[in-house]
Amino acid sequence: MAVDELVDHITPDVRAVIGARSDWLEAPHPVEASEVRRFFQALMDPNPRFWDTEHAAGTRYGAVVAPPGFPVHAFRRPADDSTDSLAAAGDPDFDGVSRAMRVGLPKLPIALSGILNGGYEYEFFSYPKVGDRIQCRSAYLDIYQKQGKAGPMVLVVIEDEYRTADGRPLLKSLNTMIMR
Amino acid sequence: MAETVYFETVAVGDDIPVLAKGPMTTAHIIRWSAAMENWHKIHYDWRYATEHDGLPDVLINGSWKQHVLAQVLVDWVGETGWLWKMNFQYRGMNIPGDTLTAWGRVTGRSQRGRYGVIELDIGLKDQNGKEGSPGTAVIVLPLRDGPPVPYPFHPAALH
Repeated sequence: MAVDELVDHITPDVRAVIGARSDWLEAPHPVEASEVRRFFQALMDPNPRFWDTEHAAGTRYGAVVAPPGFPVHAFRRPADDSTDSLAAAGDPDFDGVSRAMRVGLPKLPIALSGILNGGYEYEFFSYPKVGDRIQCRSAYLDIYQKQGKAGPMVLVVIEDEYRTADGRPLLKSLNTMIMR
Repeated sequence: MAETVYFETVAVGDDIPVLAKGPMTTAHIIRWSAAMENWHKIHYDWRYATEHDGLPDVLINGSWKQHVLAQVLVDWVGETGWLWKMNFQYRGMNIPGDTLTAWGRVTGRSQRGRYGVIELDIGLKDQNGKEGSPGTAVIVLPLRDGPPVPYPFHPAALH
């Protein structure tokens, strides 16, 4: 048995954050038309519901909307954030991403550097419209350890609920992140 | 505009129209990364991806692939059905040169309240037919003589 297999990453400090739920947090800015345009153009999904105001006015949405999964990406770097997220980019070991799983949740005290997205379970209720202010509330539903081929893995199950500032549900997701 | 897909016209075993994207290039990948403001080096820094992380190449973003899965379903049911649930696992890596085809196959159907509920297997295959993002989805469709699927969608409508 490799030494790694004996390491228990699920310490009392980690156990203490299971169930932690953030407050409702609002994205730094309302949904912007050009932000939606860059999104659907990069997806190569030119459906008129995303850009044609006349067409969209006649749909059940009543106005142009963003693609279903858009809220998941709405939490961008705020304009007043003076900490450059690429400040460490010159470090050859810097992978370009923050270790924070979600804005409103505490960082996990787990000494594993690799991080992989395991997948999602989505439930959709409505689509964001341009101008909507998107809010999100997150929770660590579960954190547990499994033995992988290359050593221990910690699976972090995060629930995210998204709604608009005026209370319209957008979507709910369960995301499994894999640390190893 | 696509014709309305009614519950009555859908049978278990049906394949929905597939949606192919590609061949994907590094330009497609960085266009998505920039739109997302996701600066993970494995998507654009070849040396970091291969030498530091031991990957075969830079990777197509999983965050991009999930929206292709949603698109194939939403394209199918248009503005009259509702993509209610979708889940998938990221099992395979995809790299520049790959062409990805999203697909769905009906595995179940039931009437709930005044609406039809369709279950599907879904996924995203590469040009060699290798499945990298298997999952399932649930779609709500109108009945021929039924009311429109409510929007915003609320699951209580199915009771």
